[in-house]
Amino acid sequence: MRAILSVEDKQLLNRIQQDFPVHTAPYAVIGTELGMTEQEVLERVARLKQEGYIRRIGPCFNSHELGYTSTLVALSIPEETIVEAAAIINRYTGVTHNYIRSGTYNMWFTFIASSQAQLEQDLADIRNQIGMTAMLVLPATHMFKVNVNLHITEDRA
Amino acid sequence: MIDALDKMIIAALQADFPVSRHPYRELAARIGITEEEMLRRIQQYQEAGYIRKIGAVLRHREVGFLANVLCVWQVPEVQIEEVGRIFAAHPAVSHCYARPAFPEWPHNMYTMIHGISQSQCEMYIQELMGLSGLSEYILLYSIRELKKSSMRYFIETELVD
Repeated sequence: MRAILSVEDKQLLNRIQQDFPVHTAPYAVIGTELGMTEQEVLERVARLKQEGYIRRIGPCFNSHELGYTSTLVALSIPEETIVEAAAIINRYTGVTHNYIRSGTYNMWFTFIASSQAQLEQDLADIRNQIGMTAMLVLPATHMFKVNVNLHITEDRA
Repeated sequence: MIDALDKMIIAALQADFPVSRHPYRELAARIGITEEEMLRRIQQYQEAGYIRKIGAVLRHREVGFLANVLCVWQVPEVQIEEVGRIFAAHPAVSHCYARPAFPEWPHNMYTMIHGISQSQCEMYIQELMGLSGLSEYILLYSIRELKKSSMRYFIETELVD
């Protein structure tokens, strides 16, 4: 069983989701802000990772600024072929998220590729491999918010 | 321009940061550069917009956000900018994008909404309806997660073995 998150854990989780210091001793900087020692911050972060609250620590890149192109793709896949289609699609490293969702278009995946030509080639390959199916290619035309920060308050966890 | 060293650094930064006193020093050592060079380049990437943010990615469910729903809306083209700003300002919306509509799929605005329960998510959607004046939407609940991973930039493999 994992312990319930303490007030200090929640403070740390809220602080560490963004602006991780670009500094020789980032955990010491965070500790100073939160009134904890560097050692205490390191111990808490290690435990929060071990307990599964933290998936990873690192940068989130802007794929477009790095020269990559991305899109959301929706497919209408018969229930009995979902597993097979997912195996084909998920083999691509550019497929980062893939979900079965309620509705006519039931498989939704995100695809990042090194160029538009590569993206089109890969999607054509996928279409060939999984056979005839309705596919919507939905690249973002405006991005209004990309924010994976979760504010953890007293009533959570 | 992104040079060969940048690609090496960006590839190295995709590893999970070490939980140790000097994580940047350790990452720099892995690719044979100094900590100073690593810190300087990261600052450049932030200024250039290559890096959106640096921080911890949490597991939503573990920290109490048990429910999420993708809500897709039909927004008149002239209102896209205004509605996008309204939706983006709502704290329960983590992602908000406009995407093309098709005759068979008229929805053109995508919002990912997080809450402690399905009913809380639906309450937030009522708020978004009130704020935007929109009423045409559908809810796409996730039934099964088939893949969730981080993109690996400048790592020369297209397929996972």
